[in-house]
Amino acid sequence: MTTWSVEALEARLDAFRLGPVDLELAPGRTVAVLGSSGAGKTTLLRALAGFLPVTSGRIRREGRDITELAPERRGLGYVPQGLGLFAHRNVARNVSYPYEVRGRTDARARSRELLARFGLAELAHRYPARLSGGERQRVALARALAAEPQVVVWDEPGQALDVEARHALVDVLDDLRSNERLPVVLVTHDPALAFSTAEEFLVLRRGRVVLRGGAGALLDHPPDAFVARFAGFENVFDRAALANTPAGSLGRWLLERSGPGGVAFGRPHVVPAGGTWTATVASVRPTPEGVAVAARMRSLPVVLRQEPGVGASLPVPGATVGFHLEEKSLRALGSADPPIGEAA
Amino acid sequence: MRRDGPYWLALQVALSGSLLLLFVLPIVALFTYAPPSRILAAWNNSQVREAIGLTLYASGIAVLAAVVFAIPLGYLLARRRFPGRAVVESVVALPVVVPHLLVGLGLFLLLLPGAPLGKAMAYLGIPVYDTIWGVVLVMVFVSAPYTVLAADLSFRAVDDRVLEAARSLGAGPATAFLTVTVPLALRGLVAGLLLSWARAVSEIGGILILAQVVYPGGPYGGPVTSTVSVYVYNLVQQGDLPDAAAVSSVFLLIAFGIFLAVRLGERSGWLPWRRGELAP
Repeated sequence: MTTWSVEALEARLDAFRLGPVDLELAPGRTVAVLGSSGAGKTTLLRALAGFLPVTSGRIRREGRDITELAPERRGLGYVPQGLGLFAHRNVARNVSYPYEVRGRTDARARSRELLARFGLAELAHRYPARLSGGERQRVALARALAAEPQVVVWDEPGQALDVEARHALVDVLDDLRSNERLPVVLVTHDPALAFSTAEEFLVLRRGRVVLRGGAGALLDHPPDAFVARFAGFENVFDRAALANTPAGSLGRWLLERSGPGGVAFGRPHVVPAGGTWTATVASVRPTPEGVAVAARMRSLPVVLRQEPGVGASLPVPGATVGFHLEEKSLRALGSADPPIGEAA
Repeated sequence: MRRDGPYWLALQVALSGSLLLLFVLPIVALFTYAPPSRILAAWNNSQVREAIGLTLYASGIAVLAAVVFAIPLGYLLARRRFPGRAVVESVVALPVVVPHLLVGLGLFLLLLPGAPLGKAMAYLGIPVYDTIWGVVLVMVFVSAPYTVLAADLSFRAVDDRVLEAARSLGAGPATAFLTVTVPLALRGLVAGLLLSWARAVSEIGGILILAQVVYPGGPYGGPVTSTVSVYVYNLVQQGDLPDAAAVSSVFLLIAFGIFLAVRLGERSGWLPWRRGELAP
């Protein structure tokens, strides 16, 4: 089993600068790379895969420096955004491609094994244009494994998948982790996929690492509004929005507790009678975790939750509801000293 | 899927139909002007066959030259950033807009025995005037830009991420180019080469100046003849319009057959470059 390490990696793409990024990729570990659009997630993966020149820092495989190694010699299975399937080759020939380019005489037999393993044998003669999103994902992964990589790097694996296909993808990633013992790096915008597969999270903002740690670090110290929303905080307010709320309101109270980037919290429960704060209901919608109540407190929109069975009836738009907001449920955003390297 | 309204559909049919009529009517006029017996006679005429043979042969060499020289240029324009790229793109478009008599005149002047290129050709023992080389030279000049433009567009359309996937799967740059870039761009490349071929066989202006009559020599060992376009031009000059129409009809049938064969080959999957798109 191979361990990869990324040490103070920096790269440039035109005017964009990435890094420094440090990363440890141990066998069977999955790292999810998060960040808003333009944060540098894909740039990081392309630098790891050897498609962008590294301006400083090193990439090591079992201690051996591979920073300057050509992409085809890195042993890194890169699945790009959109999967990069070959439209002119059918499924079988997509999967056998890595064997063919390496001149393997057993290309057919080996690719047949992979097709069977990923449930693609029936689709062997189909072309990518005729596959569903989930099937395409399986082809991409089978093809990546045919190259016998020592790490899998996957840009947006959950993109354009239906719910079933996404569940199947989680199983496949679990299999990679537990059976293949491969380190996996994922870029994803899908919180469910990230939390169900990754042990470690790397958060980028404008090319710089703002958080590296486990799910606990992400939930306890969301560095910015993007990560807070990603982690499931439904009420996220930046400082400017809070500063503009009228004096004496919830906004002022939150402002006192927010970090330089603002504050985030989940969905406080609606209290049938009373409550520290009151708000006017704007809309009500059912969710698996209970009824989500969108309300406004003066100019501040908040999302509240009413558990099934609580209260005699659902609040209606225009009604006034009360809620409590505990200080310990608040998360300050953009703290001056982000907990880089903190473990879960 | 949203269906088009009847008026919108009627407009599309009217506009497309008008253009198709413009394409078809002059051809119909040719076929109706020359009776079938005359077309058959033209087909059996050895001089006509020689002219057609020369035209297909010379245009084949021109297409080969487009493969060798125009496709790499298209690739360069599509995939590399370099200073002066806009100038190069404009230069590529020039042969399309220059009147073709001027093309012939320009090549004629360039190849005069005292001119540098003329001296070089003489030194290499490649005669150009009234030889197949003259025909090929003019054909390449007027036709290769279509392949350059098509190659540029086709290579641009190949997603970088697909190439990156190929590289990370173990393919070196050359292997990735041959196994992924070229196959994915092939449909556009073939379309460009077909256009180049069509432009080459229809050329007359430059050929009239450089090689109105083609004598044996170089890769051509056949009898003295001329390209079909010049052959038909000569018939028109002589006032023999029925024979001109008959020879044109024969050549049009051949050209139509070639285009149709390529299209049918594509659609059936026999030719490989649309298989991924058309396969069930």
